[in-house]
Amino acid sequence: MENLRLLIPEIVLSAMALLLMLAELFIPRRHSRILLHLALLASAAALGTLGLAASNPAVYQGAGSLWVVDPMSLFFKVIVLAATILVLMLAVDARRDDDAHLGSFAGLILLASAGMMLLVSAVDLLMVFLSLELISISSFILVGFERGDIKSAEGALKYYLIGAFSSALMVFGISLFYGATGTTHLLKPVPQFGYASSALFLLSTLMMLAGFGFKISMAPFHLWVPDAYEAAPTPITTFLSIAPKAAGLAMMLRVFTKLIPHPALEMTALFSFLAMLTMTVGNLTAIRQNNIKRLLAYSSIAQAGYMLIGFVTADAFGREGVLLYALAYLFMNAGAFAVAIAIGNEEGYELEAYDGLAQRSLGLAVVMAFFLLSLAGIPPLAGFVGKFYLFGAAVQSGFYGLAVVAVLNSVVSVYYYMRVTYHMFFLPPRATAPAQMGLYLYSGLALAAVAVILIGVYPEPFLSVVKSSAEMIP
Amino acid sequence: MIKHVHWIALLPLIASVVILLGSRDNTEKSRLPLLGVAVMGWCLLHSLLILAGVLSGRAEVPFYRTLPWFEFGGFEMTLGVLIDGTAAFMLVVVTLVSFLVQVYSLGYMHADPRFKRYFAYLSFFSASMLGLVISSNLMALFACWELVGVSSYLLIGFWFEGDAPAYAGKKAFITTKLGDLGFFVGLLLLFAYAQTFDLKMLPLHFQMGPGHMPAWVPTAVGVLLLCGAAGKSAQVPLFVWLPDAMEGPTPVSALIHAATMVAAGVYLVARTYFIYQAAPMALEAVAWVGLITAALAATMAVAAYDIKRVLAFSTVSQLGFMMLGLGVGGYTSGLFHLTTHGCFKALLFLCAGSVIHAVHTNDMRQMGGLSKKMPETFITMLIGAFAIAGFPFLSGWFSKEAILHDVYRFSPAMWCAALATAALTAFYMFRLVFLTFLGISRDHPRWEHAGESPPVMTVPLWILAALSIFAGLALEHNGIFAGAVCFGPAAAAEGAEAVAHAPNWLAWGAVGAFALGLAAAWRLYGTGDLSLASSLKRSLAGVFDILEDRYGFDRFFLALVRASDSLAAALYWFDSNIIDAIFVDGWALATRALAEVQRFFDDFFVDGAVDGVGALTRDGGLGLSRLMAGKVQEYLLFVALAVSLFATFIMTR
Repeated sequence: MENLRLLIPEIVLSAMALLLMLAELFIPRRHSRILLHLALLASAAALGTLGLAASNPAVYQGAGSLWVVDPMSLFFKVIVLAATILVLMLAVDARRDDDAHLGSFAGLILLASAGMMLLVSAVDLLMVFLSLELISISSFILVGFERGDIKSAEGALKYYLIGAFSSALMVFGISLFYGATGTTHLLKPVPQFGYASSALFLLSTLMMLAGFGFKISMAPFHLWVPDAYEAAPTPITTFLSIAPKAAGLAMMLRVFTKLIPHPALEMTALFSFLAMLTMTVGNLTAIRQNNIKRLLAYSSIAQAGYMLIGFVTADAFGREGVLLYALAYLFMNAGAFAVAIAIGNEEGYELEAYDGLAQRSLGLAVVMAFFLLSLAGIPPLAGFVGKFYLFGAAVQSGFYGLAVVAVLNSVVSVYYYMRVTYHMFFLPPRATAPAQMGLYLYSGLALAAVAVILIGVYPEPFLSVVKSSAEMIP
Repeated sequence: MIKHVHWIALLPLIASVVILLGSRDNTEKSRLPLLGVAVMGWCLLHSLLILAGVLSGRAEVPFYRTLPWFEFGGFEMTLGVLIDGTAAFMLVVVTLVSFLVQVYSLGYMHADPRFKRYFAYLSFFSASMLGLVISSNLMALFACWELVGVSSYLLIGFWFEGDAPAYAGKKAFITTKLGDLGFFVGLLLLFAYAQTFDLKMLPLHFQMGPGHMPAWVPTAVGVLLLCGAAGKSAQVPLFVWLPDAMEGPTPVSALIHAATMVAAGVYLVARTYFIYQAAPMALEAVAWVGLITAALAATMAVAAYDIKRVLAFSTVSQLGFMMLGLGVGGYTSGLFHLTTHGCFKALLFLCAGSVIHAVHTNDMRQMGGLSKKMPETFITMLIGAFAIAGFPFLSGWFSKEAILHDVYRFSPAMWCAALATAALTAFYMFRLVFLTFLGISRDHPRWEHAGESPPVMTVPLWILAALSIFAGLALEHNGIFAGAVCFGPAAAAEGAEAVAHAPNWLAWGAVGAFALGLAAAWRLYGTGDLSLASSLKRSLAGVFDILEDRYGFDRFFLALVRASDSLAAALYWFDSNIIDAIFVDGWALATRALAEVQRFFDDFFVDGAVDGVGALTRDGGLGLSRLMAGKVQEYLLFVALAVSLFATFIMTR
């Protein structure tokens, strides 16, 4: 009970989640948007308490037996909460079939983000597993939230089946870990490197990697991504493409670069291969997509591949790169999806809907171009700074091949990001009316655009945050 | 004056945003484009003052000023300006051509429905290009480099109503991006070994000698940066985008694809010349890339009929000359050619634009005899042709001479090839002029319709024509250019000495090449009788096919794109068929099979057993049921008792 205060943000979120599910019953349907506002409020409050933790490290940071609150976990909690807030803002203005069950909708989002916040703090494999399941189960429901839509159901089912499969693998891995070391506590197995050679330990690590890989959409565990992303309501797609990925990456950073570092297990080549595979598969498959959600889904796979570079180097430089990229990725991906929502509300998600957007809503087309160029890593936008940091880390540590493959991949990615730009700028518009946007969508978009440009043009403040956040307590 | 040099890049940026978002009126009635023109005029003035300061020695060069930008892996990254003689000249070239092109565009684009947006893009381009020129840091230079690419993409595809411009824009962007791949990796490598991108600090790292970094690093960095330069400056094999880029509005071709952006690659090599000094092999690679490009492009220009494409190939060829100059150690001569080329190539493009504006076609086979209809355009274009072909004492002659000198010192064999290319230059340029302006009109309705362009278009032509005539002479006089633009004082002294020792007949070689090209062009195209030309074309059909095929480079890149496309298709198919089949359908299948097996098991064993047991139980149960009275509560009681018993047994074991 002594250090329960370390959990205040998670408690705030969970309490609000439960409250929302109850409140749904009492709030008339025409006022149900108030539930989303409540969820926004709770996320903001949680973000505030995180600020408290960051400003008062002596009291609000520390290690429990199952979780730790340290600069890195705080950083990723901020990312998760920022993603949650952005997504809730988008959800307010996204088109829905009906407003029933908005309480469960918002509540599940909050529960999932509480799970992610626990995940980034977890130092015990049971805690890891529980928080992963909390995220997964909430996401399964959220993906299938549009119950009238058969595609939604299919995507959710697929997501569920593969998710269940990887959970099973992971829990098997955890049991093997327990068999090999006699504990599930990651800080405990002090003579950890003694286990490194044992086949059992390696097998367990591999199985856990599969479980994490599923969450961050690492190839070859990425197969659920396009279908689930396409099926889910678009704000949920936004959410899934950012928050669980960031949280999973944070968890993996903790486990594979610090607690059981993969160089000690001689698994660096494997990680390097997985990074290359992930970015290549994501980019090449994205070329063929004609649906913006699927395109961004594959692109998000590729982005995860770039971030995996930071794991390969497994040093402070690479770790900072992952943090910085996660920050940039949060804004550019959320921004791209926000535009997708603004267009998709009226005209659907095929690329043809973007024809001549520059003629209809110039501002929207320009910010979308910013987000896409940033995702492609064109300077001077946020994505470039992140990519440069990551690729620089790879070269610094002597992984030249990996760096070349990564740069080559970012060239390939230009090809499909530019396809969207091509539709926006170089095709005649099919409608003349400017795209309609609600206030929340508009402000979310503006926030993301400003952040993408600011991080790209003046990264210093963000870099200093990233540098101080790349520390872990144990 | 030089203290405020950063405003030269910032003001056009602000102007472009204001123009883009300033008003909803998109047509020529909008006054906002005039803002862009005014800002560019101010920039031109500012650049001229800076150049005057540099040349007169009042301004101290190199002028270097930075701000801390961000910290990267423990190393300070700065944002700043570095102005030396090269940058000062480059600033003037860029602002001059930008300004004249913007003025010219007021006339050329007057009826365009996206008039305002065009000027916003132009200002944006100028801002990024000027940023590229003044930047003191390779990272910021790379950022501007990419922005230049983006604006070029937008401007090539500006008339997107047709399919070709949008396609050309994409092609340009992707091809140059392929070169940027090298640039980016080169930067990463540079950072790994030098830990800075500052152009003032970097030379120190490369002068420290072999102990400081492995010997292969300068060579690798040099070659990688050359890749980026080859993409932007349209060198072999990445030149394929430039002929297609001619789909953009002609003033854009003059500004971006002739005078400024395509020179960025040459400028990059010049700015990082210290790397090439440390890596002779990379420098020689620059020379060979330049020579091959110059020669191949010149031959391709001979076979082209699109007036703008001839000029595009000519641009590629001249850029090759600049690279060749830099590569053989002629830092000054390469950049001198860049400066003069900026003037006469912009002139030629704007003349071509004036012609196209009048006859509404690009095809020279439909022109002819236009000298009577548009005398001003004819005379200015003739001046441009004389300048580029190397007529003595025009600006192109001086710079080409200087390059040829340096090439001769490096290798007489390369000099021969370069001289042949110079002859070809004269030939295709006069072929263009003769086909367009002399002889009889080959498409009479178009000829009837044609007329001289308005003064807003011809005045820029005259200004550029004057510069094409006099710039070379003025800059060569007293070695003004060589004094301001040189790589290190030692190199300058050596260069002057070498020029003094070069054989005198060299200069006549270039004049001879010019005369030969002119004579051949006159014989084939000048007299109005094209029968010899067409019979020559028939007998050399095979050669012409290869030239029109651009030596197959286009097909090579298309095949590359197609290969990656089919790889993507294969991956997608794999993803959506195999994986789906295995994971989802397979799962379903497996579950169903399992269910079948289970059902079979259920039917034959379980059910059978249940039935059998049931029968048995029924018979036996009759007896037992009497014992248990058949109450649910009692069943549960028995179960509870049994569980407690088991538990007790286990616990007390």
